[in-house]
Order: sequence, then C-alpha cells, then structure tokens
Amino acid sequence: METGWNWLLISTLCFLGGFAYVAISLRTGRYHPSLLNLCIMAAGFIAQCLFLGERGQAVGRCPITNPFEILVFVSWSAVLLYFLLGRTFRLSLMGAFTAPLVSFFQLVSLPFLREVPERRPADDYWLEMHASVSLLAYGAFALSCIAGVMFLVQDGLLKRAKLQDLSYNLPPVTNLSKAITRLVGIGLVLLTIGIASGFGTKTPPSGIHLVLSVCVWAAYAVLIGLRLTRGLSSRLSARLTVGAFVLPIVTLMMLDH
Amino acid sequence: MNLICLGISHQTAPVEVRERMAFSESDLPNALGEIASTNGIREVVVLSTCNRVETYAVADHAGRGLDILESYLRNHFGLDSDLELPFFRKSDRDSALHLFRVASGLESMVLGETEIFGQIKKAYASAQSVGTTSRTLNKLFQQSFSVGKYIRNHTQIQRGSTSVGSVAVDLAEKVFGELKRCHVMLIGAGDMSRTVAQSLLSRGAKSVIVSNRSFDRAEELAGEIGGEAIRFDDWESKITETDIVIASTSAPHTIMKPDAVSDAMRLRRGRPLIIIDIAVPRDVEPEVAELADVYLYPIDSLSQIAGRARKQREAQIRQCEELLASYLDDKGIPALEAPRENFGGADPSQAV
Repeated sequence: METGWNWLLISTLCFLGGFAYVAISLRTGRYHPSLLNLCIMAAGFIAQCLFLGERGQAVGRCPITNPFEILVFVSWSAVLLYFLLGRTFRLSLMGAFTAPLVSFFQLVSLPFLREVPERRPADDYWLEMHASVSLLAYGAFALSCIAGVMFLVQDGLLKRAKLQDLSYNLPPVTNLSKAITRLVGIGLVLLTIGIASGFGTKTPPSGIHLVLSVCVWAAYAVLIGLRLTRGLSSRLSARLTVGAFVLPIVTLMMLDH
Repeated sequence: MNLICLGISHQTAPVEVRERMAFSESDLPNALGEIASTNGIREVVVLSTCNRVETYAVADHAGRGLDILESYLRNHFGLDSDLELPFFRKSDRDSALHLFRVASGLESMVLGETEIFGQIKKAYASAQSVGTTSRTLNKLFQQSFSVGKYIRNHTQIQRGSTSVGSVAVDLAEKVFGELKRCHVMLIGAGDMSRTVAQSLLSRGAKSVIVSNRSFDRAEELAGEIGGEAIRFDDWESKITETDIVIASTSAPHTIMKPDAVSDAMRLRRGRPLIIIDIAVPRDVEPEVAELADVYLYPIDSLSQIAGRARKQREAQIRQCEELLASYLDDKGIPALEAPRENFGGADPSQAV
C-alpha cells in the first residue's frame, strides 16, 4: 500500500469532521465562525497536498493519471480556491459547504488509490500544464457550484422570511451572486489557458476530448455572458451554475487517461 | 474601601425622570472631576445613556459613598432632596456583577443590544482622560469588556431583531450586505414606513424617495428624513433604480402587480429588490414574491420574525447568567481582590 494513501484518508476525515462540526453546531444553534473549523479545513488541505506530493513522486508526474486522482486533484483545487477566494470575499460557511463535496469526491476515490501507481514520468510539459490548469479551472467550477448551492439555500430562506441560524451565518445573496460570477470567470480564464496549452502538446486534443472540453467552456461562457450582458437573474444563474457542474464531472470521467 | 454603584435605569425610572438626569458629553468631565474630588471618593466613572445614568466609584465607605453620589446627582440636576427617586444602590461584588450584566446587554431595554458596549467604553475613556480612574476601576472596566465579549461570543443573545424596523434592516443586509449603495422608496407616508426608512438610513442606506397621493405630505416626510419627494404617478418608473420599496398606502386594492415588477426586474439586470408591504389591505400582490430576485415581506412576516427573536432572546437570559456565573467562578473579579486587604470590609449593609 502506498504511504500517501494515509494522507488522503486523514484529509478526508478532516473534511468530514469539519462538516460534521458545522452541521451539528448549526443544528443546535451554537454555531460561531471559529478558528477551530478553519484549522480543520487547513489540516485537510495540508494532508491533500502531502498525498498529491507523494503520489506525484511515485508516478513521476502531476498525479492526474486516472479518474480518481483527478477527483482528488479537483478537490484540492476547490479547497485551494476556497482559501484564496472564499475567505477574501468573506464568504462565511463556504468551507462548510465545500467540505461535503470534497469529502464525497475523496471517499469515492479512496478505495481506488490504495495501490502504488505505475511510474509514468512526464515527457510532455505542455500536456502537464494543459491537464493541471484545466483541473484548476474545474476546481473553480466546483467552488462556483458550491456558491450556487449556498445562494439557493439563502435565497429560499429569505424568500420564506426564515431568519434563522443558517441564514445569519450564510453570506448575503448579493455577495454569493458576485462570487458565482467571479468563480465562473476565473474558471473560464483558466480553462481557456488549459485548452490553449493543449494545442502545444505532442498529441493536441481532438475528437471527444476536444468536443467535451469546448462544450464545458461554451456552457460556462454562455452562462457568464448571459449574466453580464442580459442580466440573467441571480437565482437562475445559481441554478445553472449548480447544474453545469455535471459537465466537467462527465468530461473527466469520459477522458482517456 | 468599597466598590459602589448608584444610578437609575429604564428598569427603575420612567423617561421623565431619566431625561432630567442625563449628563451631556461636554458636562461629563467637570462632573467626574467634582465627584472624584469629594472627600471619601477615590475613583469614579459615570455611564450616561438614554436608558441609564450610573455612577461607579471606589469609596472609603460603601454607605457614605453611595450617599455622596446620590446627593451629588440631586444637586447637579437640581432635584429636590425630598423628591423620591428610584435610585438603585449596590456595593462590591453586586456593583461589579451589575456592570458585567450591563456590558453583556442583559440589563438593556432591547436585550443583548450591542450599543451599550460602546457606551461603556466611551464612559470609561472619558473618566480615564480626566484621571478619575485608577487601579480598581481600570481593572473592573477592562474585565467588563472581556465579559461582554465573552457572553456575546458564546451565546446568541444579540441575535435576531426585535422590532419591525430592525427586522427590515436585517433582511436587507442578508440580501445586499452593506446598505451604503441602497436606494429606498416609500410609497405612502405613514408612521411605520417612516420608522422602517429611518432604520435603513441609520444603517447607511444611500437615499430615500417618498411618493404619496398627497404630494405635500410626501414633501413633509421627505424633509423630515432627508429624502426626495416625487409625485405618486412617478413611483413605478423609479422602481428600476430602487433597492428597497416600503409600501404603505391606504389604497383599497393592490397597487403593485407582478407584471410591472417583472418588467422592472428585467431592467435591474439581476440586482435584487426588497419590497416591504406594511399596508393593510396589502399594496402588493402576493404573486410578486414568486419572481426571481424579489423578496416580498408583508407586515405579518416582519412581526413574526420580531416576535420569534424576542422569545429567543428571553430564552437566552438563563444561559447568559449561567455562563456569567461560571466565568466569574473561573476568573474571579480581580478589581475586588488583594492587595486591597480591606476591600469590601466596610459596612456593606448600608447599601441597598
């Protein structure tokens, strides 16, 4: 068994623990944004980094050689962007919403990542860049999906005039709406770089790979275009952002690794 | 030496009494100096707000110190010595506990409100600036700030708004975040809509437009709250640039239909709109609530939220008191402890 797997297990437990802590404290009406929860998320992120680092050493390249490594990499991107952007935009509770998605991805991946992977040293750095930047973009889309869920929850509570613990701790809908737009924008820029760098590889993307990537790019481009130019409603934007995240997931599962 | 506290509050005295005993900001430094220079008083802080006037002092003797404070307040405000005034008198641990409860918002008219915390800080800073605090009151007030923060951080005492105006502000902040870019429009110029508008303005709302069937009344209210009056026929065209609408006309039928709001929302390009319908019968058709990015709150919703918050706060009192007791068991009250060996030794029975 590969030692890095233990880090993935620890990371998953941290995210599950962080989510359970917030869920229980919200349920009992005792939730306060605390350093403890941030530390749990940070511990999960560090363990993710250690897993990916050791796995990268083992395979001799960026550890995105199968769908399950890719899920972990997308999870890592989402948590990284949460720390970079979620906290900058003061999106309280975003960590709590990120944790279950990340935990789910990692739980699904855990059984398939126990074995020591075959060493496949990188021989095409454009390919490495294409894959890793594209997956960072998918991390941004994952986080936009999370912000979309948070928006829909807060929107539902405010529509029904339910000012309760969850509502007090969720960010204002306007901030969430802006966060969705920014995260989709960041994802789109990264994906554009990712797709463009794909054409510099020894085997430029073609066929289903290219079609799927362009579909994902086009879906998010249309979404952000409608939002910025046609004033698409915040609620519809949030719904579309949540729904659109199926596309990157399907794309990842269908790629030939 | 004894720590003493004498004062009146909204719990002991009606506003007619409180307003006669309020210290102005400019008056306070002189008053502090005069009290501190009285024989038998070592240190003093005066907390004067619209809901309370409280003097905290360190005196050589509790009973005499409290008499000195009462007599000073009577003389200072020209109150007849025979006039029965509802002063409360506390000494030593009771004085400290009272200050901690005040700092935690447990003695406030609106339970858990946070304004009192800033007012205590200001009162303490005033006393420090004129040199009427020393070791005991410094320790006591520093600890009161810690206690106030501790109670608020570990309970939900300040959560939830208990008036219709503050509920409207809370909802607006959960939609828009800060209100500094929000434009408010009043349709109808009733008292309740003025109250809500003033709450929104006090939290930073950028501007207010008042529209009323009687333009004179619209101008009058706009003048009162620093807004702009418009003709009643013009309110619909202003919705696109308004973020919060407060409707309170006396029209016998609804004046705001889903189609009109939907058209306005298209022009708002995804920016949310809050509509607070205070009118009875309602001014806004309920179907408006179904529109994306529109948050419609009839008066009943706001009242229910305020009512729930009041009940929740009352339920929090016991938790706060238990927390305060365990905090003090753990930390004690350093202001009342050694090296003042004789602290609290002098006749506390005279204090009521």
